[in-house]
Amino acid sequence: MSNSVQRVVVYGGGIAAAMAALAVCRAYSRLGTDIVWVDTGEVPVPHAALIAPPDLATFHRLLGIEGTELVRHAAATIAMGQQFAGWSGGDDAFLHAYGDAGSAFADLPFVQHWTRARQAGLRVGLEDFCLAAVAAKQGRTGVPHETATRQAVKAGWHLDAAGYTGLLRAACEQADVRILAGAEAIPHVGGSGLDRIELAYGEVLDADLFVDVHGALIARVDPDDRAVRAGFCDRIIRASTSAFDPLPLYSRVAAHPAGWLTMIPLANRTAIEFAYDGRLLPDADAPVALAAALGRPVDAAPPASLAATARARAWVGNVVALGPASGTAPPLDGAELLLLQLGIAQLVLLWPIDRAAMPEADIYSEEMAGTRARVIDFTAQHFRLNTRTEPFWDAARAAPVSTELTAKIDLFAARGMFAHFNHEAHVEDSWALVMAGHGVIPRSFDPQALLVEDRVLMTEFQRQLRAIAGDVHAMETHAEALGRMRG
Amino acid sequence: MGDRFELVIVGGGTAGWMCAAACAAKLDPVHFRVRLVESEEIGTVGVGEATLPQMKDFNDFLGLDEAEFMKATQASFKLGIEFVNWGREGDRYIHPFGTFGRPIGEADFFSYWIRAHRAGTAAPLFDYCFPIVTARQNRFMLPNGDAGDVCNAFAYAYHLDAFLYARYLRGWAEARGTERVEGRVVEVEQDNESGDIAAVKLASGVRIAGDMFVDCSGFRSLLLGQTLGVGLEDWSHWLPCDSAQAVPSVRSADFTPYTRSTRRKAGWQWRIPLQHRTGNGYVYSSADISDDEAATTLLANLDGEALADPRLLRFSAGKRERAWARNCIGMGLAGGFLEPLESTSIYLVQMAIMHTLTLMPAGRAIDPALPAEFNRVMEVEYDRIRDFLILHYVGNEPDAPLWQRVTAIDMPDTLAGKIERFRHRGYIEAYRDGLFGPPSWQAVFIGQGIEPRAADRLADVLPAATVDERLSSFAAAIADAAAMVPSHADFIACYCPAPAP
Repeated sequence: MSNSVQRVVVYGGGIAAAMAALAVCRAYSRLGTDIVWVDTGEVPVPHAALIAPPDLATFHRLLGIEGTELVRHAAATIAMGQQFAGWSGGDDAFLHAYGDAGSAFADLPFVQHWTRARQAGLRVGLEDFCLAAVAAKQGRTGVPHETATRQAVKAGWHLDAAGYTGLLRAACEQADVRILAGAEAIPHVGGSGLDRIELAYGEVLDADLFVDVHGALIARVDPDDRAVRAGFCDRIIRASTSAFDPLPLYSRVAAHPAGWLTMIPLANRTAIEFAYDGRLLPDADAPVALAAALGRPVDAAPPASLAATARARAWVGNVVALGPASGTAPPLDGAELLLLQLGIAQLVLLWPIDRAAMPEADIYSEEMAGTRARVIDFTAQHFRLNTRTEPFWDAARAAPVSTELTAKIDLFAARGMFAHFNHEAHVEDSWALVMAGHGVIPRSFDPQALLVEDRVLMTEFQRQLRAIAGDVHAMETHAEALGRMRG
Repeated sequence: MGDRFELVIVGGGTAGWMCAAACAAKLDPVHFRVRLVESEEIGTVGVGEATLPQMKDFNDFLGLDEAEFMKATQASFKLGIEFVNWGREGDRYIHPFGTFGRPIGEADFFSYWIRAHRAGTAAPLFDYCFPIVTARQNRFMLPNGDAGDVCNAFAYAYHLDAFLYARYLRGWAEARGTERVEGRVVEVEQDNESGDIAAVKLASGVRIAGDMFVDCSGFRSLLLGQTLGVGLEDWSHWLPCDSAQAVPSVRSADFTPYTRSTRRKAGWQWRIPLQHRTGNGYVYSSADISDDEAATTLLANLDGEALADPRLLRFSAGKRERAWARNCIGMGLAGGFLEPLESTSIYLVQMAIMHTLTLMPAGRAIDPALPAEFNRVMEVEYDRIRDFLILHYVGNEPDAPLWQRVTAIDMPDTLAGKIERFRHRGYIEAYRDGLFGPPSWQAVFIGQGIEPRAADRLADVLPAATVDERLSSFAAAIADAAAMVPSHADFIACYCPAPAP
């Protein structure tokens, strides 16, 4: 290909830059593409931890990263879901587990039968029919050889951000990505984008394609696009406390009168994120509030700002914005790594054909804007559906949401069904477990469910609960699974 | 009886009886009473119908026996549609119910094909598709269920007599409790306060009241259009054909397991092989040809003796602004019309039925989220098909006034970018819902001469010789497998021979 992309610069630091450089290198250095990572030096902030949703496990295979490395170098623990506590209905907690919301029966989704049974007085929650949820709560993980439930059990990771960054960087070095230190490079406009950047110490890098994680390059070619989107909290304190024993298989997000508190279990510590509304809780009082919520003082970093931005166009000219440069991810549901991974995967697929003209830019920008909107919807549902009564939560419930999310919530509340749109990033069962967890019991069900006799349905429910108990019994403990990977 | 939810289906054509049969199969008679009102006086528009593979799902959903259904409807098998003279005069291609190729590396098969095609080392795309190769030889057999076998990589549909299908389903539904009410609807009664439809009154004076009405009254759209005043969204500026002449002819020796669509000066001609005869029709734009000339053209282009005089049909492309308004759902022609170029009519009825079942109101008060979702998903279905049909029109030589006009129109925004993106790198957006996945778009684009200039770069990783070797061995495997398949005529004669009518 005479006009193919031959030189690529990845500009930025931290996880997004390392992951992008590694993915692009593994996909395209085989075609003779030269990849330079200009590391602008950003590193994860102290105490930072990440939730890697299950999809990332597949993506890691493409990156050549094994679970054992995560366990050894990123204090990884297994993530089977995320628990929400106190969001809806007092201190009640529910688990958004990464698995099936019950087993389909009589050609209908389980949630239809469950809705019917709830109306007839059943008290058992939807998550009790979810193998992944029951297993996670009992500290069991892994997939038994032959499940009686035939339910999917998917697992992601809890990761120490600094360790994970180091691991990705080491993988880049091993893959022969050229890494240069170079903060504050000067971008030079040319053609329909940039033609080169000039590093502080004078080195000039020409490239056909720039992958911008930092934000300075995309801002140069598209200065007007700096949309601020609605967020719920503007301040955050990150902290650490001692590790749980035994280690839970899920993180916990507890509602707080002025925000929320996330606890991410790592092998050597518990990472804490306390997000709050600075207008309701002054920075000076926040550490005390955090200590009160945890019942003890913790090792915390000073309060920092929590921004909410989203670029409308992620790819302009020959500059692709990824990670922080494309906007901030919603602060829950593993959205940061989810969006990053989807953005990188889409870039690899839409790798430009012609360095002189890239119509891929519009396709990519549409895809990523759609994906981002759906990921934002998933997080927004927690706020929309909360039932707390403090001013922060009243405002969160009243905050505007997309028409797509409104349609999703309305339809689930009416019929236990899902309004699917393009670019969905979360599966139906996740939506069902979360909406039901927040207390939405559908008002009606698919009338085809009535063909199943009451007694038959009762027997099937009992069968499913027994099958789950049996499957869970055959699984291994979290400690056994981690021990096996540690070797 | 008073507690039961009363569902009234108005009209007993294909749409009406498909809906009645689905209700009979899936709605509990303790909770639902289903009645269908139809008049023997009013004819239906059944003129030999080609379908999509989803129809097999519908029949399976009801629990119909395939061979019995095929015998009862004079049905034959369908592996795709052959498009003749589309693109350019003399061209022909088949849009199959199957995918092209099989995985041969990190990129998708189509990307490897583009690469080899650009290098001049590939066979035509259509040679890498088992159902196309067998269809061209008039052969057919059922998929063998072995996921790894080239002989299994396809789905199939039917050609059938839609009138016989409706009759067959009527017997089936009535045997399962559907109440059929004979009579012509002369008045539709609305509730004074709500405006909902309260009842339909028949010429006999009988009044049929209901909680929910399904309008299957055909083009008249008696309830949804005429009574509730739901307007028609007009798409005739994109799809200008507004008429058809239809005629049956004697069965031809050329018993194809595919539908044929032949582009003509003022539209296109269909050919649908059934067991007892062949269905034919000329769909045309009345601005470009007179009805008489269209009929003459049709009769001059049959491959068997005509069995009747051509019958004239009028229509207009478009859909109702809402398929579900108040307590009424429009299906089939009452809900919209798209010309049968891609055999989508019965599919659209089927989708409307499946969504009606799952979104059926739980009582007399209708939760607004239910019609909102119904209308949203049906709109997606119609829009997707519309764009795909328009693609067939725009990708042609402007060799007659109609074709000059349609190749110069402003396309819907949803289509305009697609063609340029395909030319650039074979890119096709994949959807979760709605018809026509990437293989369908690939078939029509390539078949009508719209070719990509490049392929995904991931396809360049394998050495060219490896790609060529894998392509040619796959084409050879298909050719060998196809040679073992029985003829379509023999397979039908053995599997589901229909009695002479």
